[in-house]
Amino acid sequence: MARETLLAKALVELADTLVADFDVIELLTRLADRCVDVLDVGAAGLMLAGPDGELRVMASSSETMRLLELFELQAEEGPCLDCFRTGQPVVSQDLATGSGRWPRFAAEALRAGFHSVQALPMRLRGTVVGALNLFHVEPGAMRAGDVEAAQALADVATIAILSHRAAHEAQVVNEQLTHALNSRVVIEQAKGMIAERLALDMEQSFSILRRHARSHNLRLADLARDVIEGRLATLVLDPLPS
Amino acid sequence: MAGERRRRILELLAQSAGPGLETTRLCDVCAEVTVMSGAGIMLISGGVPRGSVCTTDEVSALIERLQYDLGEGPCVDAYRQDRAVLEADLAHPTQIRWPAFRGPAIDAGVGAVFGFPLQVGAVRLGALNLYRAEAGPLSDEQHADALVMADVAAQAVLVAQAGAPPGQVAVELEAVAEFQYVVHQASGMVAAQLEVSVAHALIRLRAYAFSHGLALALAAAEVVARRLRFDDRGERDPVPRPRAARGGDGWAVV
Repeated sequence: MARETLLAKALVELADTLVADFDVIELLTRLADRCVDVLDVGAAGLMLAGPDGELRVMASSSETMRLLELFELQAEEGPCLDCFRTGQPVVSQDLATGSGRWPRFAAEALRAGFHSVQALPMRLRGTVVGALNLFHVEPGAMRAGDVEAAQALADVATIAILSHRAAHEAQVVNEQLTHALNSRVVIEQAKGMIAERLALDMEQSFSILRRHARSHNLRLADLARDVIEGRLATLVLDPLPS
Repeated sequence: MAGERRRRILELLAQSAGPGLETTRLCDVCAEVTVMSGAGIMLISGGVPRGSVCTTDEVSALIERLQYDLGEGPCVDAYRQDRAVLEADLAHPTQIRWPAFRGPAIDAGVGAVFGFPLQVGAVRLGALNLYRAEAGPLSDEQHADALVMADVAAQAVLVAQAGAPPGQVAVELEAVAEFQYVVHQASGMVAAQLEVSVAHALIRLRAYAFSHGLALALAAAEVVARRLRFDDRGERDPVPRPRAARGGDGWAVV
């Protein structure tokens, strides 16, 4: 099959995995595998930055590749790290001679049987989420068009990851809002119940609730829930100072 | 195209953005952009209206209040059905729906009413409601603007809440929104009066408000003010007052 056809198939396949609740690891593993199928590379791997901004190995087309990427992170030097930090492609056409930048990484890569490397950023506008590493057994530049094809695959994955994160954040914030509103409702209900039982106004009821929560080291919403669900008799609450 | 609409809407919002959240302006911009008589934004979770983020005028406030009290209407449907709900002629609808909502809304001067879900991705937060005094459908242009507006509004609510401490509603939202806390205070009181659960108490309170043509919040305020008590012999006013004293407490626009 022509490379263009393979690339088109790979892009469609990646897009196809982008259902509402896709798995990021699976997407990245497919991306690594397709890079090896479509492009003339020996191995491919992906690293993504975690919430702390540190890179993590997310997917590798082979175990050798995974170990090499882990080594890169441990040694804190290598093309993937440089690429992630700068947001720019990083290339080394011959690790045996041009290894000055990353002496420890180059030695390890050569031991694993790789002679050249290309790292591409996973970037959308200003946001760099990670990097794609492509390793070759032979020294030399990548085949014409391969860099562009690899970047296209990385771009699809980047957009998917960013929209996945945005959706997740939206969900978390919405859940927090619902939770906060629920807590507030329960507290208002408990205020009403205490006000009725002890013939107090809402402000006095709230003072009672708050004092009791504080002196018994309880969360206000938990205490309120105990009150309205009858697990805590209103009369047991610490009274207001007279 | 959608990007152009979004830019125009954000510009309108930015023009009058004071310190803090633009939610006070949000509804005005919604009505302005879509050329409607008024707009409101309602928070809904689990199909139940939770409160109103903003409204442009008394009629749109009534549209939200009715839905809060009755649990039916265009916003509730838009949220539950996850799509735009369009009623171009409330007085002569093609589809009979919202039996309790319709009458008071028509009386208040609502000719046409539209609901759009407020959502970010698959996350639904509530609904945007638009109304026009005159009956008539939305133009394609208005419909497209409303969709973008609902999107912008959903983002604005999330951005506001994102900064809140855990377990709390963002100060910016709390300051502008109407969450009807008095209803929950009254539920707690009625639960104690009847020795029933707060959920049951709320049903009794709703039933009382509905049968007396009162807004739920006003019936609740009567309870909290201890002018209305519930007991098993039926609801009663501890201090009987002339009905006229409560004139204007109903669903009519005050």
